Amino acid sequence: MIPSARVPFWRDQRVLRVAAQVVAALAVFFLLYVLWFNVTNNMRARGVRTDFNFLDQPFGVRIAGSDLRPTAPVRLALLNGIRNTFALAIVGLPLLTILGVLVGVGRLSTNWLVAKISSAYVEILRNLPPLLVVIFAFQAVILRLPAARNPITPFGWFVISNLEFHVPGFRAGDNYRPFMLVVLVAVLLGALLWWWRTRVHERTGTPHHRWLWSLGTIALVGTMAYLILGRPLTITLPQLEGRVVDGGYRGLGAFFAVVGALAFYTSSHVAEIVRGSILAVPKGQTEAASALALSGFQRLRFVVLPQAMRIALPPIINQYLNYVKNTSLAIAVGFAEVTLVAFQAIGNGQPAPQVVVLLMGSYLVFSLVISLLVNLYNRHLRIVAR
Amino acid sequence: MRARTLAFLAVVMLLAACTQAADTTTAPTTDTGPATTADTGTATTADTGGATTTTADTGTEPSGGGLLGDIQSRGSLLCGVNETVPGFGFLNADGTRSGFDIDFCRAVAAAVLGDPEAVEYVPLDAQQRFTALASGEIDVLIRNTTFTATRDGGEGATFVTTTFYDGQGMMVFTDSGIGAMEDLANTAICVLSGTTTELNLATRFVDIPYTPLTFEDNGVLQPAFVSGQCDGWTSDKSQLAGIRSAFPADQGGPEALTILEETFSKEPLGPAVRDGDSQWAQVVDWVVNATILAEELGITSDNVDTFADTDNAEIRRLLGLEIESDDGTAVFDAGLGLEPGWAANVIASVGNYGEIFDRNVGPDTPLGLVRGVNDLWLNGGLLYSPPYR
Repeated sequence: MIPSARVPFWRDQRVLRVAAQVVAALAVFFLLYVLWFNVTNNMRARGVRTDFNFLDQPFGVRIAGSDLRPTAPVRLALLNGIRNTFALAIVGLPLLTILGVLVGVGRLSTNWLVAKISSAYVEILRNLPPLLVVIFAFQAVILRLPAARNPITPFGWFVISNLEFHVPGFRAGDNYRPFMLVVLVAVLLGALLWWWRTRVHERTGTPHHRWLWSLGTIALVGTMAYLILGRPLTITLPQLEGRVVDGGYRGLGAFFAVVGALAFYTSSHVAEIVRGSILAVPKGQTEAASALALSGFQRLRFVVLPQAMRIALPPIINQYLNYVKNTSLAIAVGFAEVTLVAFQAIGNGQPAPQVVVLLMGSYLVFSLVISLLVNLYNRHLRIVAR
Repeated sequence: MRARTLAFLAVVMLLAACTQAADTTTAPTTDTGPATTADTGTATTADTGGATTTTADTGTEPSGGGLLGDIQSRGSLLCGVNETVPGFGFLNADGTRSGFDIDFCRAVAAAVLGDPEAVEYVPLDAQQRFTALASGEIDVLIRNTTFTATRDGGEGATFVTTTFYDGQGMMVFTDSGIGAMEDLANTAICVLSGTTTELNLATRFVDIPYTPLTFEDNGVLQPAFVSGQCDGWTSDKSQLAGIRSAFPADQGGPEALTILEETFSKEPLGPAVRDGDSQWAQVVDWVVNATILAEELGITSDNVDTFADTDNAEIRRLLGLEIESDDGTAVFDAGLGLEPGWAANVIASVGNYGEIFDRNVGPDTPLGLVRGVNDLWLNGGLLYSPPYR
């Protein structure tokens, strides 16, 4: 470029591009500043607190299913709510994935009955408002169980009422911690063996037997550790003594209402995504698999589903996020997830704007973490160009 | 659902905050409200100059915000109410509303607008109510709300005269054999979230293990209680009495439920207004006082028209009748910014305190509450209105 022909900077595209970005950024910051200024100023003018010191104030009430005293700070109560939302997610997401894939595959089944049942499942659930499904699950299913004052005890293993479900659980013994450490090491070892057997299989074609290798190792190491450490874990059955249930694990009825309702609801959407993704796999793939004499299950398992999942995963992320956000509907049936706890705090005199900001922040973190994890998996599934 | 409502409220608050900021710069225009009432005041008392018979002197009255004027120019009162508690605030099957709190909404509308029907009811749940009040969604909150220091201080609300002195109780099924709070150990107790009830429960049961089941409204709480998920239902005793009275006959009717003897909190229920508008707070305060004063003076909705010739000066002042003065006759104006005769409107439309009580929650209603502490001071109760002069 000849120096004399230089364009002046106000017509230089590179300069203009940067300038436009700077102006846009400034405009956004200005807008945010005005909003912030307005909110804090007006709150101060009305004598409403603008700080976050309330987090150290006592929460004042108990939360169902937790040991928090009413004197525990708001901070811990909110964390408890976040933990409960997490529990809804960790139980519900795998459940809805499995259900969704089964129903999605079922809709394409050549079996008339399976296909029709799957269609009906999808069409009914996906066309209902989730709130209705949650309230139905609570009032028409959970509340129909025996009252809390006379629960049923099937096989002596469970204690079930419409308030709480009790199932057998483990109780930690003396050497609980070292035992768990050994088990963790065994699991890692099992994973390593899995990876090794897979490599061997890929290189030499000898049968991998990876389930046998890894699970066998975990079982062997676990059993030995269990015997050597002298029963570090014992199984306890829930025992009903008057109104108190001792031992075992417990879950609130409302929890199962929410998980069940939302998992069923969201799985109907996932099923449609799975069905669409399977149909998107070129027909030639199935035909080629048939030509190789693969059975129906093998075609699905090794040829169609791996390719379909690659297409299905991005839209399924949306459904995962929807599920997590919909868990806030638990407030309608009184399960203390983070929204209910936050609103409880507001109702009991904590400042609404700050609590709502924290609430929004916690859902944002949940959503970002889920998208991050699924995106990582998505990258793993991507066609590897060799 | 609630999450969205609250998020929406947050946005509304933000916008309200912005518009409020804009309003302060155009303050003179919002002052037209009180000015018009002053005009109507002078129309009847133009020829008087006595100090006690002055017209509404809004010039000296610090009208911070002028909500009274806004309501009068809008022509309707936005009243935040409950719609799930029979006897206090209830939405009937035919779409009408009735109850003790509803009558006080009507009383305020009668005083401010001259028409008890000029009320727009805004149904609120326990958690929304203070946000709705602070954001200007409602003018006055009359929703069985307990007067506490935090709500007065931290929530941006100002409470006026208590309309109902209540206390918290516990309701159980009669056949459960529960006779005292201690019998509820290791059970679940149903309670509305975001209420003082919830806090009192934690305090009363500090040494008794229990599981609190918190619900947003009585519509979901009641099925949970009926199905036996929780063994106790705690709330203000008046509310429990209302719910018990309306308990469906196919589930055993009111007899199936028992309200335990013990009262474990003080729950003074009354109207609340937004902080920062003392004129409006005074108006609501005096509407309540007027109903109490009317009962004390023997004025009822039936006989309110018969006092034209009474000699009782306090009745004449309250009802806005002409009073003696040096130059002709005038009416008493306390400077509340209301038209003279507002109290007559209130009493003609909803009656005095005793009538409101008896009509909604009294012995002849399904609730069957006795006056107890909610009686006039003359009868040993707590109701005591300052003099209207």
